[in-house]
Formats: sequence, structure tokens, C-alpha cells
Amino acid sequence: MSRLQLEQVRKSFKNGDTEEEVLKGVDVTLEEGEVTALIGASGSGKSTLLTIAAGLQRLSEGRVLFNNQNLAEWKAEQVRKIRAQHFGFVFQSSHLVPFLTVEEQLSIMMDIADRRGIKQEKQKQIKKILDEVGMSHRRTAYPSSLSGGEKQRVAVARAIIHEPSILFADEPTASLDSNRSRETMALIQQVTKTQNMATLIVTHDEQMLNYTDRIVKMSDGKIVS
Amino acid sequence: MAWKEMKKNKVKFLIVGSIVSLISMLTFIISGLADGLSQDNVSLIKNIPEGTFYMSGDSNDSYTQSHIDDQKLEDFKTEDEHSFAFSLQMGALKTQSDNQQSVAFLTATETPLLNTVKSGEVILDRSLKDEGIKIGDRLSSPQSEETFEVVDFIDHQKFNHSPVALIHSKDFNRMFRTKEYQLIYSEETTENMGGLQAFSKSEFLSTIPSYQAEQMTLNMIVWFLVVISGLLFSIFFYMMNVQKIAMYGILKALGIRTADLFQMIWSQMALITMTSLLVAALISQVFQVFAPDTIPYHLSVSTTVQLSVVFFVVGFLGSTLSGLQIKQIEPLQAIQQGEA
Ligand SMILES: Nc1ncnc2c1ncn2[C@@H]1O[C@H](COP(=O)(O)OP(=O)(O)OP(=O)(O)O)[C@@H](O)[C@H]1O
Ligand SMILES: [Mg+2]
Repeated sequence: MSRLQLEQVRKSFKNGDTEEEVLKGVDVTLEEGEVTALIGASGSGKSTLLTIAAGLQRLSEGRVLFNNQNLAEWKAEQVRKIRAQHFGFVFQSSHLVPFLTVEEQLSIMMDIADRRGIKQEKQKQIKKILDEVGMSHRRTAYPSSLSGGEKQRVAVARAIIHEPSILFADEPTASLDSNRSRETMALIQQVTKTQNMATLIVTHDEQMLNYTDRIVKMSDGKIVS
Repeated sequence: MAWKEMKKNKVKFLIVGSIVSLISMLTFIISGLADGLSQDNVSLIKNIPEGTFYMSGDSNDSYTQSHIDDQKLEDFKTEDEHSFAFSLQMGALKTQSDNQQSVAFLTATETPLLNTVKSGEVILDRSLKDEGIKIGDRLSSPQSEETFEVVDFIDHQKFNHSPVALIHSKDFNRMFRTKEYQLIYSEETTENMGGLQAFSKSEFLSTIPSYQAEQMTLNMIVWFLVVISGLLFSIFFYMMNVQKIAMYGILKALGIRTADLFQMIWSQMALITMTSLLVAALISQVFQVFAPDTIPYHLSVSTTVQLSVVFFVVGFLGSTLSGLQIKQIEPLQAIQQGEA
């Protein structure tokens, strides 16, 4: 079942007097339980597409359909709510909050997603997800004491703690060595299956494509395959 | 979350807190000195309840040139029985051991605010007791032949930085060759009392030249300090938040409400300023208790509270200002900054 559909998405940036079209009518569909890889040359518009799909910036033309509703027409506050409750994010660098422990990072994300609920259940969910990413033993550690790979594991945990339906990741392995990268990709693929999410990953690294189910290649603002 | 950050970065917040604390303490103490000096200057007037002071119309706003005839006082008495007339003159008194003290001679018609004295007697401000003068001592006036027997001491009665010497009107009139009182005080304001000029308490205080000059300087210092510390607070909170702009951007990308971010910076601000102000207020009040008597220091709780409220509002504005910046952060920028 499809979770998110991009239809004829166009995006232009004003560059002084000239207007530069970065996305020139892109169609992409994200399916549940599937990792979609977005590849292409630098500057082809991958990050722009991902951030538009994730509601982090507005498109110029086209539609972004989530649950059959067009996010492109929604107010900023409504989009924020969708992001908080239904989307998960992994960034290039982990971007953890420096003064929170691993479990506090997850707890705050549950608050942001309005998953307050009973304390025990929150704790249970945190434990479950930390087990899943293999970070239970560093529950009370601060980000400064974690290695790059560990940080990215925690970042993945934070991205899925509130059980989002879509996971967005823009070059999640770019700051890791190849072993750590493979581990992180395997983890993302694994959680995509266990949580039954639709996942969109931007990547440069050909090797990482082994961990994806579908490959979308972009060139100059268009999908080429 | 705000609290967790403070727990993790104890040192940083302690430093900010102690600077806020020190500055507000400085302001408290200076304003305590300002008030202390004004007490030392004119506690006689300050201790009279709010009311109206009347001078004659031709007095040029100077009590020394004012004179009010007795008939007027009678008119006042029928309006407000608590009215009384009084006069003040600077002078000196000499002890038997030739120790000369400058005093402010005061005489007044009967009022519950002041004890009554008989002719030939004087009641002195308690500060003269510390100078070795005792009840029963005979004091003489260097300007005239009058001598007075000390019958009592009263607390906090000073005028023009001099202890008040309350004497009988007969003695006063003879010493200063007058017949009429200078001023009338009434609790109620009566409009148009036949050619008299009405002054509120603070208006009357500002006609006293020494008082006005002194208070203006000190108040200027206090407000200057308030402004400086206001700027400093704002800069502190601003810097604290600017450091975290990238983090706020990420949180916004994750979908945090801007209102929650505001709540976070406000609660930090509130916690820091409140604790710091509390510490500062406590220390300055303790200083009040232990300050040597030679330092005129008087910091009322209400002044402390007023200044604290001002500081709090200033801190609030400062953090809100930096909060407005946070409102403008685009989550996208934060993500890309992280990549750079
Ligand atoms: N905010 C913006 N304003 C103007 N131009 C922009 C903006 N964001 C992106 N662009 C332009 O759009 C084009 C595509 O950028 P995008 O970041 O999507 O590329 P990318 O495929 O992610 O590249 P990379 O692999 O290097 O990350 C680039 O030419 C970029 O300069
Ligand atoms: Mg990119």
C-alpha cells in the first residue's frame, strides 16, 4: 500500500532575477515496508525532493499526497503536526540534543509526537526500540560519549520511537566509515520491515543500494529510472 | 527539558546566575544607600503619613520663607482635627563639655505624631544619645542665651542630615525672632486655602534643596544600573539561545511546537533570574542587618520587590527577544548547516 505519493512536483528557486527550476515534474510513490533509495549526481535535486516530501519546504507546483490528502495545501501548523506524529527523520549527522541522555532523546521525541501516555508504557517502548537498534547498554549515556556509529543508531531510534509511517533519511551514512555505514543501512532496512514503514533514503554510495528495495535515479530535476 | 539542560551544564548556568545575582545585588545595595541617605536626611518628613503640606503663597517654594498666621491653622483644625503647624530652623546645641552639635530645631502645635515639650525642655533624635548626651543634660544654644534640659529621645527624626531638636514654640519664637509658623500639615487636601500653596509629601521633599540634589544623583545611578543590567541580562539570554539555534532548528524539523521552545527558554530564564534575585535580595537584606550604623542603609522589602520585578521583566524581554529569533529559524537551514 502506498504511504506517500508525489505527483508532478516542481520547485523553482529565485536566483536574483533568474528563476532556476530544480525539480521539473517529479512523480514518486513510497510503499509501506519498502526502502526507496534516491540517487543521482550532486545538485540533481535529491535533498530538495526529500524535504518537500517531508513537509520541510513548500513546492512550487504539484501535489504531495499523504493519506489521500494534499500536504501542499495545508497550513504550516498542520504540516508540523503531521511531521511530529507520522514522520521520522535521520539526518547526515546525528543531530542529537547534547544535554540529553540516550533515553531522554527518545522520550522527548515521544513528547513532540504527543505520545505522552502512561510512563510505564513509554519506558517499555523506549526499551523495545533501544533493544532493536542494539543500544540498550548505553541507555544513560550522553551523545558526547558515543561513537559516530552509535550516535547514528540512536538517531535511528529517535526517528522510529513514535512509530511513524514514513522515515526520511538524507545521506544517513555520509559521516560513517564503510562498516558503520553498512550496519546503519542494515538497521534502517530492518526497522522499515519491523515497523512496516515507508522509507526514503538519499545516498551517494553505490554499496548501500544492497540494503534498499527500490532505486529511483534523478538527473537534473527529473526521474530517469 | 529546560531543567535537564541546566543540570548537564551546571557551570555555565551557575556563572550566568551569579553574574545576574551580583548585578542585581549591586543595584539593591545602591538603592538601599539612596534610601538610607534620604532617611538620614529627612526622616522627620518621611515619617509623617501621606498628606498635604501648606506654605504661604509668597514663600517661593522655600519653607524658610513661609509664614502662616494662626487664624489659618484654626480654619484647618475645623476641617481636619489632625492638622498641625510646624516650623524648622537649622541651629546648634552645645553640651556642658563644650561639645557642639548641629541640630534642626523643630516646633509644632499639638499632634499625636510628636511628643509635647514644655518651655525650657528639648526632645532629641536618638542619634545624639550615641554622642554621649543623656536625659537630664543641660544644653545651651550658641546663638542665643537659651538653655534646654534633655527630657527624652525619639527615633528616626532627622532633617537636613541633622538630628531634630523638638522645642516649645515660645523658645523657638524667641530664638529665631518669629511669631508665626512656617508650615501646616493636613491629612486631607483642601483646595484653595486662602492664598496658601499646597504640596504633596514628595513635592514638599523636593523643595528641600539638599534632598533633591542627593536623591537625583542616587536615583540616576540606580536607573543607570537597571538599564545596564537589563542590557546585560538580555545579551546573556540572547547568547545562550544563539548557541542553540542549530539544535532548535533540528527540534523544529522533528516537529516541536514553537510554543514549547518558548516555554523552554522562558522557564530557564525564570529559574535563573528568580534564584539569582532571591539570593541577591537575601544578601542585601542581611547586609542591612549587619551594616555598621555609620553607613546609612535602608532597603525596604517593597523596594526590593519593585526592583526585582523590573529585573524580571527585563530578563523576560531579553529572552523573548531571542525567542523571536527562534521563531524565525527555518528547520531546513539547521539541517543544512549541520551538513556543512
Ligand atoms: N534554498 C535554495 N535556494 C536556491 N537554490 C537552492 C536552494 N536549495 C537548493 N538549491 C539548488 O537546487 C539544486 C539541487 O539541490 P539539492 O540540495 O536538492 O541537490 P542534491 O541532489 O541533494 O545534491 P547533493 O548530492 O550535493 O546533496 C542545487 O543546484 C542547489 O543549488
Ligand atoms: Mg543533498
